Amino acid sequence: MYCYVYDEALQDRRYERELAQIETRLTDLGIAGKIARLALFRDPIELIRDEIRAGVTTIVAVGNDLTLRRVIDAVGDRKTVVALLPIGPQGGMTALLGMPSGVAACDVLSARIVEELDVGEVNGKRFVQSVHIEGTDFVVHFGKQYTLTPQRKATLEMRNFAEPDDAGIQSPVDGRLSCIIRLPKFSLFKGKANVGVVPFEEVFVACEKNVTALVDGDRLEGKDFVFRVIPRALRLVTGKTRKF
Amino acid sequence: MAKVAGAETIIAHGVRLDGDLVAEGDLVIEGEIHGTVKTNGDLRIGDQAMVEADIEAGNAVISGTVRGNINVRGKLELFPSSQMTGDVVTEVLAVGPGARVNGSVSMGGEATKGKKRTEADES
Repeated sequence: MYCYVYDEALQDRRYERELAQIETRLTDLGIAGKIARLALFRDPIELIRDEIRAGVTTIVAVGNDLTLRRVIDAVGDRKTVVALLPIGPQGGMTALLGMPSGVAACDVLSARIVEELDVGEVNGKRFVQSVHIEGTDFVVHFGKQYTLTPQRKATLEMRNFAEPDDAGIQSPVDGRLSCIIRLPKFSLFKGKANVGVVPFEEVFVACEKNVTALVDGDRLEGKDFVFRVIPRALRLVTGKTRKF
Repeated sequence: MAKVAGAETIIAHGVRLDGDLVAEGDLVIEGEIHGTVKTNGDLRIGDQAMVEADIEAGNAVISGTVRGNINVRGKLELFPSSQMTGDVVTEVLAVGPGARVNGSVSMGGEATKGKKRTEADES
């Protein structure tokens, strides 16, 4: 049984036609389901958990990365399958998951290639992609084994899943997160930053002062952070062109 | 499902590591290390790196400064910019012109076997 959670931005008239086409295609494919609409004063967690209690087995976030994030936050178990049906301006998840935008995503959804992805957790808050802490002094403790200390202000990224870049390729199915430390180069000629990458399962980060961490785009204030990976915590529908 | 390419650990230039680093895959050190370093994969120590540690690796390429004993099961390459202070045990050794080695060097199968035997006796 499917439940489609519509982002509140989809109330805009410009999406009417595309939504109608999607709903028709879903009916044709035999995967139509209940529609729930996110709204400003409606708690998405309650809304989605009510649907799961009512017997829904697949929750489809209709919208963008943010919609998917809100759905993932609400789905606490490993049984419920989650999917993204992209409409409108997109972030990076669409390409990573191999989901085409609009009506074409219905066929991918119907093919139902389900992957079990790792999820990261920082101070009890879950994330699928990464956590960023910009330009600060910090120490990363890898259990009692060793510590990493940047010699100057650096950017810290704890990554589960992202587009390949200067830090290489990270897999969301390897049971580990990556600690990426970027130090700017002091040079007359702007060059690439020095980039360090260390895979881990659990670390503790102590910052010198209170900082704002961006957890998949959401702000989280704090000085000390505990990061850990929850292996295979999320069942997600992906396309054939997924990047992992 | 695609496998992650090169499960690699990189200690960047400008980062200091204190403690015992055990890496599962290949290891690149461009920063500063104080402690011990172990990897079954390949190890590369960059020319700006400063390592004060005993090292164990599958293969190693050194361009920077190392103070400590190094035990390599395969091939050890010392580049011209490298400075080694410590004992070297390796199967195969390649030393570039200008590389500095201060310490004893043991090579070949017997040396690495002997090292392993000594470690077994100690434990």
